[in-house]
Amino acid sequence: MAEEDNTVREPLDLIRLSLDEKVYVKLKGERELRGKLHAYDQHLNIILGDVEETVTTVEIDEETFEEIIKTNKRMVPYLFVRGDGVILVSPPLRS
Amino acid sequence: MLFYSYFKTLVGKEVTVELKNDLAITGTLHSVDQYLNIKLNSIRVVNEQKYPHMLSVRNCFVRGSVVRYVQLPPGSVDVELLHDATRREARGG
Amino acid sequence: MAEGQSGAKTPADFLKSIKGKAVIVKLNSGVDYRGVLACLDGYMNIAMEQTEEYVNGQLKNKYGDCFIRGNNVLYISTVRQA
Repeated sequence: MAEEDNTVREPLDLIRLSLDEKVYVKLKGERELRGKLHAYDQHLNIILGDVEETVTTVEIDEETFEEIIKTNKRMVPYLFVRGDGVILVSPPLRS
Repeated sequence: MLFYSYFKTLVGKEVTVELKNDLAITGTLHSVDQYLNIKLNSIRVVNEQKYPHMLSVRNCFVRGSVVRYVQLPPGSVDVELLHDATRREARGG
Repeated sequence: MAEGQSGAKTPADFLKSIKGKAVIVKLNSGVDYRGVLACLDGYMNIAMEQTEEYVNGQLKNKYGDCFIRGNNVLYISTVRQA
C-alpha cells in the first residue's frame, strides 16, 4: 500500500499534492482560472470550485493602432475543464 | 474513467456546456460516454441573440473534444468523493 | 564518437541527464519558462521550480512550482548558470 508521500517523482505528483488547494491554471485562448482543485486525471481534465475565470483580449484602436488590453472576469461555483486546453498548472505560493 | 463515472452521476441534472467556439448550451444531461461525448435534452443557448440558428434545436450531441468547460450544478458536487476518486485514479493510472 | 557536454547519446538520455538543472522550456505559443527542472514524463509533461514566465522576452510571471502539459512543449534547453 503506497503511503501518501510528499515526493515529486513524476510531474503529475505536483498536481496530486495540490488537491483541495487553490491553484492557478493557464489555458489556451488567453484564459486563466483560479480555484480550488477538487479532481483531475492523467489528461489534466480538472474540476475546480469557486473559480474565477479571467479572459484577456487585445483590441487594436482603429485610429491610433494602439493595443487595448481588456480583461473579463467571472465567477463560477464548479467548473469541469477539459484537459486539452490546459497549458500550465501552478499550486499557490507556499510562503 | 474518473470523469466518465462522475458525469454519469449527473445524468438528469441541468448543466451548461461551453464549447471551444464560445457557444454555451444549457440543457439536461441525457447521457455521456467514455470520450466524454455528451447528449443534452431541452437545450437553450446562453447567448440566443448571437446564435439565432440554434433557436429551433431541442436536443443535441456534443463531441467531447470540442468542450472547453462544463459548469456543474453545485448540489451535485461531492468534494470528498471527488478527492478520494482522484487519489485512487492517481495511484492506479 | 563526438559527444556534447554530459555525454548524453539519445534524446531520452538527454532528458534523464537534465533533472535538477536550470532549463528554458519553450512552448508552441512562443512563451518561455526559465527555472529548475524537477522532473518530466514520457508525454513531456514537466514539473519545474522557481519558474519565470517570459512573453516576448519580458518577465510576466513567477511560479514557485509549476506543471506544464507536455503537448505544449516545443523544446527544452539547458542554460549555463549565471
